[in-house]
Order: sequence, then structure tokens, then C-alpha cells
Amino acid sequence: MLKILIPTIMLFPTIWLTPQKWLWTTTTSHSLIIATFSLTWFNLNTGTGWYTSNEYLAIDPLSTPFLILTCWLLPLMILASQNHMSSEPIKRQQVYLSLMVSLQMLLIMAFGATELIMFYIMFEATLIPTLMIITRWGNQTERLNAGIYFLFYTLMASLPLLVALLSLQVTTGTLSMLILCYSDPMPFFTWSDKIGWMGGLMAFMVKIPLYGVHLWMPKAHVGGPNAGSMVLAAILLKLGGYGMMRITILLDPLTKEMAYPFIILALWGVIMTGSICLRQTDLKSLIAYSSVSHMGLVAAGILIQTPWGFTGAIILMIAHGLVSSALFCLANTTYERTHSRTMVLARGLQMIFPLTATWWFITNLANLALPPLPNLMGEIMIITTMFNWSPYTLILTGLGTLITASYSLYMFLMTQRGPTPSHIMGLTPFHTREHLLITMHLMPVLLLITKPEIMWGWHF
Amino acid sequence: MRFIQPLCIKPCPLSGFSSSDWTPFHLTPGLPPERADIVIVGGGVMGWSVAYWLKRKEQVRNAVRVVVVEKDPTYSQASTVLSAGGIRQQFSLPENIQLSLASADFLKNINEHLNVVNEDPVDLQFNHSGYLFTASENAAHIMEANHKTQMCVGAKVILLSPAQIKERFPWMNTDGVVLASYGLENEGWFDPWTLLNALRRKAISMGVHQCFGEVTGFKSSSHKVETGDGDLLRLKRITHVNVQMPNSLEKQPVECAIVVNTAGANSGRVAEMIGIGHGPKDSMPGIPVPVEPRKRYIYVVHCPDGPGLDSPFLIDYSGVYFRREGLGGNYITGMSPEESEEPDISTLDVDHDFFHNNVWPRLAHRVPAFESLKVSSAWAGYYDYNTFDQNGILGAHPLVNNMYFATGFSGHGLQQSPAVGRAVAELILDGRYTTLDLSALDLKRILYQEPMLERNIV
Repeated sequence: MLKILIPTIMLFPTIWLTPQKWLWTTTTSHSLIIATFSLTWFNLNTGTGWYTSNEYLAIDPLSTPFLILTCWLLPLMILASQNHMSSEPIKRQQVYLSLMVSLQMLLIMAFGATELIMFYIMFEATLIPTLMIITRWGNQTERLNAGIYFLFYTLMASLPLLVALLSLQVTTGTLSMLILCYSDPMPFFTWSDKIGWMGGLMAFMVKIPLYGVHLWMPKAHVGGPNAGSMVLAAILLKLGGYGMMRITILLDPLTKEMAYPFIILALWGVIMTGSICLRQTDLKSLIAYSSVSHMGLVAAGILIQTPWGFTGAIILMIAHGLVSSALFCLANTTYERTHSRTMVLARGLQMIFPLTATWWFITNLANLALPPLPNLMGEIMIITTMFNWSPYTLILTGLGTLITASYSLYMFLMTQRGPTPSHIMGLTPFHTREHLLITMHLMPVLLLITKPEIMWGWHF
Repeated sequence: MRFIQPLCIKPCPLSGFSSSDWTPFHLTPGLPPERADIVIVGGGVMGWSVAYWLKRKEQVRNAVRVVVVEKDPTYSQASTVLSAGGIRQQFSLPENIQLSLASADFLKNINEHLNVVNEDPVDLQFNHSGYLFTASENAAHIMEANHKTQMCVGAKVILLSPAQIKERFPWMNTDGVVLASYGLENEGWFDPWTLLNALRRKAISMGVHQCFGEVTGFKSSSHKVETGDGDLLRLKRITHVNVQMPNSLEKQPVECAIVVNTAGANSGRVAEMIGIGHGPKDSMPGIPVPVEPRKRYIYVVHCPDGPGLDSPFLIDYSGVYFRREGLGGNYITGMSPEESEEPDISTLDVDHDFFHNNVWPRLAHRVPAFESLKVSSAWAGYYDYNTFDQNGILGAHPLVNNMYFATGFSGHGLQQSPAVGRAVAELILDGRYTTLDLSALDLKRILYQEPMLERNIV
């Protein structure tokens, strides 16, 4: 664990001491080396399930996929930001990179935390660099609004979490995840216990985001720069899912009855946000709502507390993280060229960018959960476990799948097909860097077709 | 990052499109939004027509963000409001006829298009009195040929012999007139200020943002491409429009995807800001957009014994024209000067000697009643004069891909504005012309040096 964390922390001096000419190259390659080394985490099978070098940071089959996704995403974020940051003064570029690296460091510590309070502190701490990235480098005046929504939604919801955690600490004596899995289910019978349950999960539900508390997400995505959207969609949402999975150990057996309305809300959210996607005119907003839709399915899978639910949730989170981030990168390439995120002004791109049309196609297919991609595996597992819980959920999940397919197709047709307007004809061709970026997003998704067991969590 | 001194804590509405108007900074009122999808330079009738049609054609509400930037909130020098306001189909180019026909249809049904809920309906004061063109002996064949084209395209125009003219319009002196063509339908005049305001009101109600400021420059990115012949071309793409606030040094760059140049008489200057016209003489970058302001006078005269209520918009072959203005025996009249006698364009001062020496004699010859008239007032306005072929310029420039033009109409822009707005909106949103094919009026004819001239009767 420290073999990855210390090099990440050492990226700070790398950023500030490298000569300007080599700044972006150095940081990209160093973070790529760290990402490659993080792949060794897949190899660690121990009897207890936890691999710990000390009692504060540990990894287990649940956190490993998220940690590796986090490490993999940093070079991609740096690669994606290189173009639009090139016009800024060198100090600003270094601050931007430092914010991304600090976010990375906090995320590694969050996913690797063994103690719930440490997880909570890291969970909150990730808000700060993200807020800075969104409000300082975001795209338009609404970014101030976006930052406020983003910050206060999560903060308001996570204060009860702190209270719940502290009171649980008093009751159980420890909040270390290594020990908690062996504890007895606690007697939760009173109303205040139910409120405590809500408090424990509310923060993660806002983070995932669950349908009723999702408003911050489209704003944060539209208002933020490309790298901000990438990290938000790929990792920060998964923090919510991961946290939910960890904390429900403590909250059984109350979850069986309390989770009911939230599962239904999540499934309803899948359909609602999917329908909103069909009416979106802003490309990034469409992808943001599609993220909410997918994560609604994830939330349902986690709240249902079955092995297949958890497994499906993890797979869908990882696959969605990569695919959604790829979609944001593609949308950003269009934005950098036409300076507009409106879909109707960037049509018929297939004629001038054929290879990119391929990336759009593959990414959209992944988004609509095409077999044999891992997106489908996750969705099928969650849908099956929901069906087992109640057959009527099939209506909602089936309809959700249909709507997902239609808006993914809509996105593809609107941007790639159709008549190419004359103002599109003269756009600059794609750079190798951009092709590399999308390839590095899609390659893990395609490789995971061959060995998805590494993402199955505890049930491998 | 600009330093914004917080002058007061009172929150100001953020210009444009945010879902909430709260901001901790006091922003200058009237600043354009920091980014928009389409920026329309020039808030005359052409600009607002394009803005209206863009909003009308979008399929989802607020799909495109449109900003119209106008230099002068009083419109004191805008060609639109200083226009005589006539509309006719008597052109020789089929495209011009189609444009006027479509616009006349729009104007006749204007309340179906431009009505805003809870606001007064639009009254254009459209007088359907028709145009009367006269032709002398050596131009009669041109008039007949044009008449055939007009009938083909669908305009309702008839040819009149001098006797028939005398029958319809006894006040006219048919000396020297061999043939006349008279528009029966869809021709006449209307109030341009009402049209401008109706378009503006409707467009703003549909979400177009209006900004008063002057476009002083553009920021663009460029890259070199090699053509098939091996020439190196520099393609530019506008990324920002620099808008300067009125009476202030403050500038706001508006990030945009597309710029529509409807700046009228100033279109040539706006095109120069992006570098069209700067280059070696024979190359594509060296050919400027040939639109420049030309001053034209309009004189309001009072003649109680004049032609009366059914007088058409008469355009004589000598160049003089007049039309009735209102119901009190007033008429407006004017004349296009010779090429060599073009008046000075630096101010909009009126030259009354031009009336006494040039307009009045010819007018009095054609309409004897006008021998005794009194000039009540006069004004001058600019034509967005296309020095190349005096017809409209539409479409995008090959070297600046995202600047669309709708300018250079040289005196018949107002009457074609609704249809031109629709055409430009189709170009932008659909990628091609869908209702009227106006490729004959494309900007590329300037670069190929192929003029599309009107066969006028003069």
C-alpha cells in the first residue's frame, strides 16, 4: 500500500520542481508507472481477505478494483487536461496538477482506510480539491453555483454520518473494518436507531447519487472542466457506493426493512433520469444524467444486500467509471473544437473524424450495456437479484434498460450521423494524445471481458 | 483572472442562462454572458430575424444559446429603421423573388409567427399598394423578360401599357414610358421599426439574449491546411467575440461556436476584424467582403393634391421613387445617386440640394401634381451596399468556417429579412438549405468573381 501511496505523495515535489518543458510529460509518465504498479494489488490473496501492512491502510477484494481504478485514472486526467491548460501560466498549471494529485492521494487513503472514521475524513477531504477544480477551472459562470451545490449537498448529508459513526464507536468499541466483520448484529429497534440508519447512509446516497438528491451532479459536470468531470464520474461517485457497502455491515438487520423505499427510489430514478437524457441538448449534461441513471441501478444493487447485488454493483461501478469518463473525454474533444457543448451544433462528425466515430460507437455501446462488456455483467447481476427480491422490479429495470439503449443511440446519432454543417468542416483533426486517452479508457473495459472475476469482490 | 472589485453587496442578475441569478460579485449590468453558442453581430432586422428563426427551429427548448450584440441601443444609424420599408417581388433573380414572396407571406401572417402571450398583437401597417416600375423604350424588353421570371416563380405582377397606366393612375404623366409592371399582391410597404421590435420581442421571449455593446475584435485559433493543388491555406476558427461595453473600457470576450455577421453597413469592417481581406491581392484571404455603407436620402414631402390613397410605390426609370406615407397627403421620395456622385458617408446629414437639383425635377416630370409640394423633413440612412453585385451575401466563408454572413442586400434587405433569417437558421442547424435554395447568393461567388447581377430597368 505504501509502495503506491508514497510515490503518489512524491508527485508533489515532482510537479513543483520539474522544469516547465517537462512538467506534463513527467507527471503523466510517473502517474502511469504508479498505475501500472498498482495492478499488483490484484495478486494478493490472503486467508482473511484483507491484505494489510499496517493496521491503518489495507486492501481487500472489495477495495482493490476501486483503488486500481483511482490509480489508473490519474494519468488519464493529466493527459486530458494538457491541452486546455497549456495557455495558463506555469504556476496555475502546477497548482492544478497538485490538486489532482492531492485528490488521488486522498482517494487512495479513503479506499484503503481500515477505520471508518479515517474513511469519513478522507471522504470529506476529497470534496476540497474537487471544489477547487470545479470552481476555478470550470467552464462558465454557473460553476460557482455548481460548486456550492456540490459542496453543500454532500456536507449536509455527511454531518449525520459523523454523528452516527461516533455513536457507533461508543456502542461497538471500535470502527475498524478488520474487526467489525466479526461483530454480532446490534440491537436496532427504536426510532432513533432508524434515524441513525438514515444518518449512516444519507451521505453515501447523496454521493452515489440517488435520484432524489442528485441535483448537484449535472451542475457539477457541466460547470466543471474535463478532468473534474472525469474524476467525479469515475471515482467520486464510487466513493459513495463503496462507503455504502462498508457501512451496511454495521447496520444489519435494519437494512432489510429500511432499504425498501430507497431501492424503489433508485429504480424510479433510473427511468426518470433516463427519460431526461432523451430531452437534453447539452452533451455533458446528457452524460451526467446517464451517470445518475447507471448509479441508480448500483444503489439498488447495494441496498439489496445479496452477494449478486454487491458483485453486480462493483462490476457496474468499475465499468461505468471507465466508460463514463471516456464519454466525458469525447465530449470534451468536441467542446475544445467547436467551443460549444450543444449537440445540435456538432453533428455529422463521423464524416470528418472516422476513428473518433469508432470510439464514440464503442463507448456508447458500452454505455448501453452491450454484451460481453462488463457493463452488461453488472446490470444483469443486479437485475437478476432484484427480480429475486421482487418480480415486479423487472418492469422498472427492463424499462430502464430500454431507455438507456435509446438515449445512448440518440447521443450517437446526434453527434456522429446526420448532415455535416459547413462550420464543422474545418475542425482540427484529432491528436494522437486524444486517441491514446480514449484507448486507455476502453482497453481495461475490453480486457475485463476476459477476466471479470477480479472485480467480483468477496464472491470470487 | 480579472480583479473584480465588489462595489456593493447587492446581488445583480447574472446575464443570461444560469438557473439561479445569485452571485457574490457585483457584475456590470448588461454584460453579455461569458459563453454562448451563437453570437449574432448586429441587432438590425436581419440579426433578429436570424435569432428568431434559430430559436424557432430548435427542437428542444433552449437547445441553442443565442446572443445578439447591437452597438447602438437607440438604433439611430441603423439601416433597418431608416428604411423606406418597401417590399416587392419585381426582381430579375429567381432567388430574390422567392425571398420576397416568402417574406411577404410571413409578414401577412405575422401574428401567427410573432405573437407573444399577453402582449399586444403586431400591427405592421402593411399597405398592400404594390410597386409600379416604369420602363423606357430601350429597357422594355428587360422588363418583359423579368416579368416572365416573376410569373414563373409565382409573383402576381402584370404589365401595363401607357394607356392602362393612365386608366389606373390618371395622375401620372406617361411621357417616355413604354411599359410598366405593377405588383398586384404581396407588394407595398410596412413599418420597419414595428417589424424589428416584433422580431426582437418574440426572440427575447424565446430565450435569445440581447446585449448592447460593440464587437471590437475576435479571438480565433488557426491552423494551416494544404489544398489539393499544394497551396497552403490558413483556416481560422473564431473562439471568442470581444464585446466592448458602451461608454466604457470594459470588454467581455464571449466564447462561442458560431458567429453570424448581420452588421449591415458595417459588415465589411467586422469581416476585416477576423482578417478577411488581409492577404496577397490574388489569393483567397486577400479578397475582402465587399460590403460598405452608402448613404441614401429620403425626403418627406407634403402635397395635398397629390396622387391619393391608391398610389403605388412608383419607381421611375429615371431613378426617382416615391410612395405615400400615411393618410394626410404626405409622401416620401428619393433617388439613388450616380456612382460618381456618391455622398460622403461619415455623417448622416441630408443634402437638400440633391432634392432640388435631382429628385424634384424628375418627380415633377412624372407626377405633375408634385410640382407644388413642400418638403417637411428628410433623413438619411445607409445601404449595406454590396459593391460586387448589389445582392445579398449568405453563407459561411471558406477560410473562417464558423462565421456566417447575411449582409450586403443593398437596399432590399428589410423586405427579405424573414426569409433570409430562416435560410441562415437552416444552414446553421440543418447544415443546408431546406426550404429555399439560395446557393446562388452564396459568399463563394465573391471569391470566384461570378457576380449575380440584377437586370434592372434603369
